[in-house]
Amino acid sequence: MAIAGLATQEQYNYAIIKKFVIMALLWGVLGMLTGVYIGFELAWPALNLDIPQITFGRLRPVHTSLVIFGFGGSALFATSYYVVQRTCQVRLFSDVMADFTFWGWQVAVAVSVIGYMNGFTQAREYAEMVWPVDLLIAITWVTYLIVYVMTLRQRSQPHIYVANWFFVAFILATAILHIFNNMEVPISLFSLKSYSLHAGVQDAMTQWWYGHNAVGFFLTAAFLGMMYYFVPKQAGRPVYSYRLSIIHFWALIFLYMWVGAHHLHWTALPDWTSTLAATFSIMLLLPSWGGMINGIMTLSGAWDKLRTDPVIRFLIVALSFYGMSTFEGPLMSLKSVNALSHYTDWTIGHVHSGALGWVAMISIGSFYHLIPRLWETKLWSTRLVFIHFWLATFGIVLYISSMWVAGIGQGLMLRAFDDYGNLAYTFVESVQFLFMPYVVRGLGGVFFVSGMILMAFNVAMTIRQGYRERAMLDAKLAAKLANA
Amino acid sequence: MSRRLMNNPQVNIMSTDKKPQSTQTTGHAWDGDLQEFNNPLPRWWLWSFYATVVFALIYWVFYPAWPIGKSYTKGVMNTVEYTTAQGKHVVTHWNTRALYEQDMQAARAAQAPLLKALDQTSYADILKDAEKLKFAKSMAKVLYADNCQACHQAGGAGIIGKYPNLADDDWLWGGSFEQIQNTIKEGHTGMMPGFKGRLDDAQIDAVAEYVLTLSGQSSDAKMSQRGRQIFEGEGGCISCHTQKGTGNIAMGSANLTDKIWTIADVSAAKTALAKRAAIHQVVLNGVTRKMPTWKERLSPTEIKMLAIYVHELGGGK
Repeated sequence: MAIAGLATQEQYNYAIIKKFVIMALLWGVLGMLTGVYIGFELAWPALNLDIPQITFGRLRPVHTSLVIFGFGGSALFATSYYVVQRTCQVRLFSDVMADFTFWGWQVAVAVSVIGYMNGFTQAREYAEMVWPVDLLIAITWVTYLIVYVMTLRQRSQPHIYVANWFFVAFILATAILHIFNNMEVPISLFSLKSYSLHAGVQDAMTQWWYGHNAVGFFLTAAFLGMMYYFVPKQAGRPVYSYRLSIIHFWALIFLYMWVGAHHLHWTALPDWTSTLAATFSIMLLLPSWGGMINGIMTLSGAWDKLRTDPVIRFLIVALSFYGMSTFEGPLMSLKSVNALSHYTDWTIGHVHSGALGWVAMISIGSFYHLIPRLWETKLWSTRLVFIHFWLATFGIVLYISSMWVAGIGQGLMLRAFDDYGNLAYTFVESVQFLFMPYVVRGLGGVFFVSGMILMAFNVAMTIRQGYRERAMLDAKLAAKLANA
Repeated sequence: MSRRLMNNPQVNIMSTDKKPQSTQTTGHAWDGDLQEFNNPLPRWWLWSFYATVVFALIYWVFYPAWPIGKSYTKGVMNTVEYTTAQGKHVVTHWNTRALYEQDMQAARAAQAPLLKALDQTSYADILKDAEKLKFAKSMAKVLYADNCQACHQAGGAGIIGKYPNLADDDWLWGGSFEQIQNTIKEGHTGMMPGFKGRLDDAQIDAVAEYVLTLSGQSSDAKMSQRGRQIFEGEGGCISCHTQKGTGNIAMGSANLTDKIWTIADVSAAKTALAKRAAIHQVVLNGVTRKMPTWKERLSPTEIKMLAIYVHELGGGK
């Protein structure tokens, strides 16, 4: 075992994966704690303690950047580097370049969030980074693309496994999105401020073309790549349908690019643009579900594992939430539904059913599969994984249901008219209504982040256990050699 | 499960599920045991996908959808007509702006006769007519939120020291319908001079103590007596606040004989000393407050409805 393990460690570059795994967990816990805090700030604004750095407006991008880029991004680097090496049976193209992607990415995340807290932002949602960080990310990302594609080219397998299609699509699309959304002219070489190259409604269009495809390629396609490796691996079953994977892959990639404008219904955006965004969103429903079907049906014939294997539970519940939120999304993108849901907390609930239910759950499940293999040991505690599962699931359910109540209630209040055609409620009345849902949402967040902290602890103990076992084996080996 | 078995595309995958599996894998294997079955696309999935495509096609026929050069397809059978506030009649294809205009037109049409009736009715008669009163309040609630609430706060609660409370029955400039209407229309500047340099600290303390006496809250009769002499004598306070201290709505000077305070937060002060100190600050530094004029921004009818709304917040006279 030790010898075989050693061979794997040398055949593949596991060091880079370990680094990304640890950073993903660190950013994840920090980002989710920030989320819980600002969630409670909305219920009790005094929690900002009149400190500018921790007011909602500044911490909000800190939260989104930490969970999307810090946690999600690092998790994707880790799993994609693992998957590409295992399925191509080849070491990463370049250790130095892989290391560069690690440091480039971590520095970008850290510098960004410190900047946001101190008011340095370009105020583009999910792309708040100031221009020098944009440049760093662009270089890091192109390096990532080179490492990934070159590794694929050097594969010792005749075929490219499906997970890799999704990862490549994600890396390529993200590069394009990042670059086009961040076309800007710095005020001067020594200023962090810049002007966007786009203006007016076109700027808004570009922003949401980026924003929604960040969801589509970063938070969906990439995590589908993760799903396509870890679900069949953990289940020990072949993927349900190769044909479905091809069809839904291309449909997804083609359709996603059109739908960003559904974030701008009922604005200055031309109506034809709105129509295209809405209809393409509807057509996107089944291609999205293709991934869910392929994942869940992979378990067909091994359903009993849901009873005994908490890792499978994470993966399957992730797919269920994926299915639910990709149904909810097209629904909300219809103009008439959007008239109610837009600018309300329904949107926040929807995002989190995707972000917590799908992205976080699939990453957590994959990590529980991956981590023991990286450190060549068993999980320190399976019981804690079960507890984590229930904490996470309960947290998500509280979060989503409170935000449905908040969002639909808020939407109905903001467009309620009295007998004379006047607004029935003032804005502040809708804010008062939101108090209770905000408290419940915060509690949901507390449950979810508690699970994450438990996971971090379990992982730390697993790693320690891995090192101890390794040391013991080394000692035994040394003793044997000495005797011989 | 051994790799040899897994790599054989013909073999049935063993599982606890007893249903026979005859599907074949694609024949490739990665990382040991990663394989893919080659199941056909689920029928329901495929047909649902086609259904969404048909939905989109139909949608594109009836709504603005595809750009062509500098124009776009407008959609068929979707004519929308409306008349703008300026009286321009427009016939166009379905679009979100036209829907908005239509809504506004309908609301204008519904409100016009009611607004006219309100215009022609006196305040006293509106107060007796439940239907008219309800309409005026409905209209003014939105006007208040848009124009007044930023200073006077929700429900007219005001902010002590800054913006007067509109819900109590203490009025600096008068609380009748006509007086409120005039205040909104023309605005006001209220000014009390500061006595820094003209009166010393001991004198100001004495005046403050006398002011507390006026609303029956004094705790030091001797000091109050000294204060009264200054209030009526060299301080000249009576020229605005009157001999009795009841104030003068013609100049917006405060009534000091009730227990309602708008600048010095006497009600919140716990001790006699703190109460005096609160008044001391006001006498020392003076006060200037400005209510802007609204006649350029709001129509006479809107001001009338607001006057009713403010009057009915609780303290109208």
